[in-house]
Amino acid sequence: MPPGLSAYLIRRLLWTIPVLLAISFIVFTILRLAPGDPVDTLLGQRYTEETAARLRAKYGYDQPLLVQYGKYLWNLMQGDLGVSTRHADFTVSEVIWPKIKVSSQLGAMALVLTFAIGIPLGVYAALARGTPLDPLTIGFWLAIDAVPVFVAIPILQWLLAVKLGWVRLAWDGVWSPNIILPVLIMSLPGVAGVARFTRASVISVMSEDYVRTARAKGLPERLVVWRHIARNAMLPLITVIGLSLPGIAGGALFVELYFGIPGIAREALDAVLAPDFDVVLALVLFGSLLFVLANIVVDVSYAIIDPRVRVQAQRG
Amino acid sequence: MQDVAVLEFETVVRPGASPWRRFLRSLLRRKIAVIALAYILLFYGAGAFAPLIAPYDPNAQNLSIESRLQAPSREHLLGTDALGRDILSRVIFAARTTLLFTVAVLITGGLLLGLGLGLLAGYRGGWVDTLIMRVGEVLAGIPTLFLMIAIAAAFRTRIDDAAYWLKQHTFLGQDAKAFLDFVIIVGVTVPFAWVGSARIVRSQALAIREMEYVLAAEAMGASVWRILTRHILPGVLPLFLVGVSSGMAAIAGVEVSLSFLGLGVDPPTASFGTLIGDGAGVRTFQAYPHLLLSAAIPVVLFFFAWNLLGDALVDILEPRMQVR
Repeated sequence: MPPGLSAYLIRRLLWTIPVLLAISFIVFTILRLAPGDPVDTLLGQRYTEETAARLRAKYGYDQPLLVQYGKYLWNLMQGDLGVSTRHADFTVSEVIWPKIKVSSQLGAMALVLTFAIGIPLGVYAALARGTPLDPLTIGFWLAIDAVPVFVAIPILQWLLAVKLGWVRLAWDGVWSPNIILPVLIMSLPGVAGVARFTRASVISVMSEDYVRTARAKGLPERLVVWRHIARNAMLPLITVIGLSLPGIAGGALFVELYFGIPGIAREALDAVLAPDFDVVLALVLFGSLLFVLANIVVDVSYAIIDPRVRVQAQRG
Repeated sequence: MQDVAVLEFETVVRPGASPWRRFLRSLLRRKIAVIALAYILLFYGAGAFAPLIAPYDPNAQNLSIESRLQAPSREHLLGTDALGRDILSRVIFAARTTLLFTVAVLITGGLLLGLGLGLLAGYRGGWVDTLIMRVGEVLAGIPTLFLMIAIAAAFRTRIDDAAYWLKQHTFLGQDAKAFLDFVIIVGVTVPFAWVGSARIVRSQALAIREMEYVLAAEAMGASVWRILTRHILPGVLPLFLVGVSSGMAAIAGVEVSLSFLGLGVDPPTASFGTLIGDGAGVRTFQAYPHLLLSAAIPVVLFFFAWNLLGDALVDILEPRMQVR
């Protein structure tokens, strides 16, 4: 690791602590101040003042806001995320971990697929610059990008499952062929972004001196493109990984809803609507941590790859 | 769709380059950009004059068997829905919802917060800059859609009393609940909608601040307000436009997504989210494809038009993307 970078890394990691504290406090306050507390939902028809008071005392909802928040933080530091009210008496960890596992596997596959489609498209568009194929390729993917996931899903489900009979819609776990369609749908919205970024990056590399040298010494065009242009153009793409994460998370919600996938995005929606305080908080914190860490990894790996960034990293 | 908060451009100012006319001319030379702009204007025009254009009352139900779920015909160009309402009229009124929403977010999140905070951060620098950009960084780093859902869900349950009060005491009357729903979705979008444009404006303002003419204005004792509006703003505006138009599809998408999930605009107020929601589902689509397509095609084209326009603007104004 280059000198100065470790200090930068440590500073960035320390900075995540106040960020997560701020997010957790804001979400905590919003949840607690809104009416319709979990106890009302839990009791429903059986609501009596007495039971409600007993349950509020059990979950600690009868205490002042700051005391509750303090207790939450104290428990959090000991690895206790609290209990779910919606799944009676399950701890939050028991509720969320299996679902996080499913969603993260799906998300990882979608991320890989986004780049597997987007990079060749971008390289292709850049090489075809000046011909009508370039704007057509990018325009086509901008059109795909404009279709909301919840519009694309029923149409593709109907086309591929009902009309053509190529896929089945049932949920058979992550390792089954049925997973192809959901993963494809999650990856499509990000493709346009990756392709455009790759295109811009390839175009800027194409006019570098070493590309001209490679051509001048008589290297076959295929080698020039893949060894000299594509490889150097890939470096800035690392930043796009961080930027595509929110889109994939958003797409995951609708994919999980439509395909009946027991994932974390659907759990988050249900927990918010219930409301299930501790589950919502745990998920918001988990999501934020993931995003913040992803951004740090992106920045640091970028600094390792591109020496020009390192100077800024040391300063900033 | 891209996430609202993540759009950003780092830009270099080209000294001496800003004339609006050159910008307009190169924009109008691009056929695709002109078509996109025309569609956006058509869409917004339909929304603005919805009561005059719509062939039927968007909320008029007709529950007889033969008038429900009709396929497109000459009487109902886009068909009718499960309650026998004319879908074309509902689409036109949904464009009105989109118009109101995007304009409200544009004014509050784009102009007030995005442009205002960006100028402030770029011109003032120091701790003001650090504070604004750090807050933006936090907002850009969190899963936006889920936080918006959480906040919208939390507030929606508590507005009944407020809606009742507004109904009694203001001119809103029956529209009080719809008005509050609207305030909530605008309110949850704005905190995330300003970051992208503020970053663009800031980086531009930072560069322009160092120009001689700004120094000259300062030396002549011009007020901060005058320097910001007369000297820095004109140089910042073109790229601000790029940022806004690139983010617009995502911003309009927030209302559609939230309404689709039942957390945005409540029926019977027409919204593309609820219209799409009526036709979504593989069985519904198989039986009545017009429900989904009639609503989805106009709004998808609208998002696409913003994407194309944003792309064209980036091409014109973003120097790094230009042919070297």
